[in-house]
Amino acid sequence: MNPDSRIERLGAAAVEAARALAELWMVYVSTVSGIVRGFTRRRGGRGRPKGEILRQLYAIGNKSLIFIVVTLGFIGMVMTYEACLQLSRVTGDYSQIGSQYIRLIVTDFGPTLTALMLATRVGAGIAAEIGSMKVTEQIDALRMSGVLPIDYLIVPRFLASVVMTLMLSTLGGAVMYTAGGLTAQYSFGVNPNLFFDLSLLEFHHFGIMVVKAIAYGAAIPVVAGFCGLRARGSSEGVGWATTAAVIGSSFAVIMLDFIISATALFLWGGDL
Amino acid sequence: MIGERALSGVGAGAIRIAEEVGGILVLTYQVLRALVPPRIDWRELVKNLYKMGNKSVPIVVLTAFFAGGLMTLQTGPFVKKLGATSLAGWGAGYAVLREIGPILIALMFSGRVGANNTAELATMTVTEQLDGLRALAIDPIRFLVVPRVIAMIVMLLALTVIGDMVALFGASVVGRAMLDIDWSTMYYSFSENLRPYDFLHGVYKSIAFGGAIAVSSCYFGVTVRGGAVGVGKAVNAAVVAAAVSIMLLDFFITYSTG
Repeated sequence: MNPDSRIERLGAAAVEAARALAELWMVYVSTVSGIVRGFTRRRGGRGRPKGEILRQLYAIGNKSLIFIVVTLGFIGMVMTYEACLQLSRVTGDYSQIGSQYIRLIVTDFGPTLTALMLATRVGAGIAAEIGSMKVTEQIDALRMSGVLPIDYLIVPRFLASVVMTLMLSTLGGAVMYTAGGLTAQYSFGVNPNLFFDLSLLEFHHFGIMVVKAIAYGAAIPVVAGFCGLRARGSSEGVGWATTAAVIGSSFAVIMLDFIISATALFLWGGDL
Repeated sequence: MIGERALSGVGAGAIRIAEEVGGILVLTYQVLRALVPPRIDWRELVKNLYKMGNKSVPIVVLTAFFAGGLMTLQTGPFVKKLGATSLAGWGAGYAVLREIGPILIALMFSGRVGANNTAELATMTVTEQLDGLRALAIDPIRFLVVPRVIAMIVMLLALTVIGDMVALFGASVVGRAMLDIDWSTMYYSFSENLRPYDFLHGVYKSIAFGGAIAVSSCYFGVTVRGGAVGVGKAVNAAVVAAAVSIMLLDFFITYSTG
């Protein structure tokens, strides 16, 4: 391959990526402006069927309940098991484990792992739904009848996902903590009174958790909706969109986690 | 009335899950059976190895780098407060090698490769290409599924090894840039506190994860029904099944081997 065409291909990929990012940003901006418009207008959401937000809350939240409880419960058990195992080899002192564990859950693992799980379930679901509508030209039909597809499809999912990610993060964190406590008690004989110790938690830890959950909850439907709206062709396009949504929203969660954790580190220093 | 509906909903859900688990187990058996005299389509295997492995390197490297960095961010301040920076690599390295590395890489792999694989097989199924293969007396399991399963297991293993290294590097970079922990401190901390077994523990988890992702993604691909909508739903079901089985396998492997 001659070097010119290689540089050309690199440039084309960069242009394509920049264009996709700009489009993603536009989806985000239109979603936010759609929400603002919904507040200022007396009867918000042009032509959106009544109770759509409730339906999305149910589809995103309630239907993910078992999935979140099972996955976070198991990972909570594993993490405590690994931590206790390591401690038993080094110091054998379990007095710190519960209080450190809940600090980690609140500031990081609770919201992040919940959001990663939701990114696979909800992100793929949104992309599959919107992608199928796109390839069967339902989106064009919406546009023709004067309805903004983003207002109609993404805004309710966005609101529902922000609310439900926060709720499920809280629940997921609680499940992780309980599962961890039971594992520590039954496998390593750690006294539950010692484990369920909330003394290390401070108010700003909950602030970090809420910020993270809201950021993830906002990112997942925007990325997934963007991927769904980009679907082309037929079933192959839907498959592609769903795959891209899972990858994109998981990666967005990891990036946001990194950015928010680093910011929090600078704000509160060693006290994180 | 409402109780009755809720009850029938629970029952229907249980039957569906049982059907899916059963279908996945049957497919696993068929794949193993097809391997007994090992006749593998090498061209298809090499194609899949390249497509699933080499092309996933960028996303795995990025994910692993940030995952490693995150672990330092989470454990670093605590370690610094105790004044024991020589233990920074212990917390981050241990978490990365045994849990976070294999799980995150498997989740990303399931998103990129598993979902893609389901979409591809599902598209072939809804366009009746699988029936076409059968009409030509080519066994779709042997020709399509077996090479994919092998490729995914091999490549997730390889990507986990690469990802672990990158994650440790990411942990050191973040330690240097944000917490003023020296490269050498981090390096000695890794080499003092981590044993080869910690690394191997993650690696053989990744073999199990690869198998689970492969079989579940192929199962939802070949059993799809009904056009573009069906393909989207199949991909969704495949990633959910993969995520659940990764967590379950992780627990059982950790618990049984320690």
